[in-house]
Amino acid sequence: MSKGKNTNLRLNLSDILVTIVIALVFGLVFRLLGPVYDLVKPFGLHLDALLYGIWFIAAPFAALLIRKPGVAFLAETAAALAEMLFAGSGGVINLYYGLLQGAFSEAVFAAWRYKKFSLGIASLSAFAALIASIILDAGYAYLPLLAGWNLILYLVFRVIGSVLFSGLFPYALVKGLEKTGVTQSLRPVTKEDYNVLK
Amino acid sequence: MDTVLTNTSTLFFKINPSLKFILISSLFIVYLFVQNLNTMIWASLFFLILYYFVSGLSGKWSFWFVLITLIVSLFSASAMILFGKGSHIIYHQSLILITQESLARGVLLGLRTFTFSLIGMIFATTTLPVPFFYSLMQQLRVPVRYAYGCLAAFRMIPIMAEEFMHIRQAMRVRGMTRQKGVKAFCERMTRYTITMLAQSIRRAQRTAIAMEAKRFSMTEKRTYFYEIGWSRNDVYFVIILLLTVALGFVFSSYFPLTPYTNVLDQ
Repeated sequence: MSKGKNTNLRLNLSDILVTIVIALVFGLVFRLLGPVYDLVKPFGLHLDALLYGIWFIAAPFAALLIRKPGVAFLAETAAALAEMLFAGSGGVINLYYGLLQGAFSEAVFAAWRYKKFSLGIASLSAFAALIASIILDAGYAYLPLLAGWNLILYLVFRVIGSVLFSGLFPYALVKGLEKTGVTQSLRPVTKEDYNVLK
Repeated sequence: MDTVLTNTSTLFFKINPSLKFILISSLFIVYLFVQNLNTMIWASLFFLILYYFVSGLSGKWSFWFVLITLIVSLFSASAMILFGKGSHIIYHQSLILITQESLARGVLLGLRTFTFSLIGMIFATTTLPVPFFYSLMQQLRVPVRYAYGCLAAFRMIPIMAEEFMHIRQAMRVRGMTRQKGVKAFCERMTRYTITMLAQSIRRAQRTAIAMEAKRFSMTEKRTYFYEIGWSRNDVYFVIILLLTVALGFVFSSYFPLTPYTNVLDQ
């Protein structure tokens, strides 16, 4: 802590372990939601795209909670790896989606230099993860070859789902956790904390 | 998992986990660029055969898994089949437009998802977490903090399950489980998630402090309890996997079942 200002932004073992435990919980949630997601698929009307947003939740949630660089990427990747190890539907695909979604989510928090952790930024990071998933889906699922109206329906549902489940929801969860006081020991020390001591 | 897995002494359990991980994940890249329906049909067939021989799942579980995965994979292609673009119309009613091209694409997508699920299942059912993370540290040089973090996190799953039961019992005692309506349901869910997340975070922090106290972050001169190395089995594994992939491509060029060699062509 005494070496300079940036040292407290490095991840220590406690941050890593908390992030991975959270990622594992979400990996389990993803695994359990997989069958539900598959069941709403067959109508071709993309009801599954609404649920898709849940798969972006690990990165914004961890970043809002711990507020340090690298946490979002680590959380999303670890959650994807956990889903793969739990034999989730889709198997190996999950890992690639997780890596890219995590990187895109992380980029949003990095763009604000890890100083802003508002609802807007959380939603934006979910949106970035959505872009990542669409990039992969364009190649994997031939998105451009769907009929126009169907593609638009798909995109609209995904945007709604991602902002709702991975922007609003993690924000509300972290707000709830703040009340328990557990977040105080996780976050880097801010200027306000020093001001209290004066 | 112990009751689900049959026999942990088969060939696929003895392969170096890092090698298995890398090769299996690289298959994603291979099949992402396959646009030939015949190749995908043969590949899914050969991976089904491979899955049958090497999967760690016991018979009954295995059968249901394959059946459900196949149905679900075809579901996932339904949008492409029903609403895709194309010119050779098979069926057309209001918004539904099935064309030969979109049908071929849909079946390819479904089979691709099916193949990836099978491959993922082969990996997941033949890889135990402890050797996997030890191998990540030793062969792929994943930093010890991350790998052991994952291992420690895996150990917390049973504790979380127990905690879940405790919360449920506490709710039952207080009559919360009998309350009906959306509001009561939301209240219950909030209590489950917030309580379990807060407890997990606290537990993770305590564990981290305990690990640090034992000089866990020391990076130099680390020794490992399990030494994961290489064996002849790794060679067999590479040969089996290459053979499976190659057979798919060879069969598709000698025994094409459909005329769709490139589904992206209009």
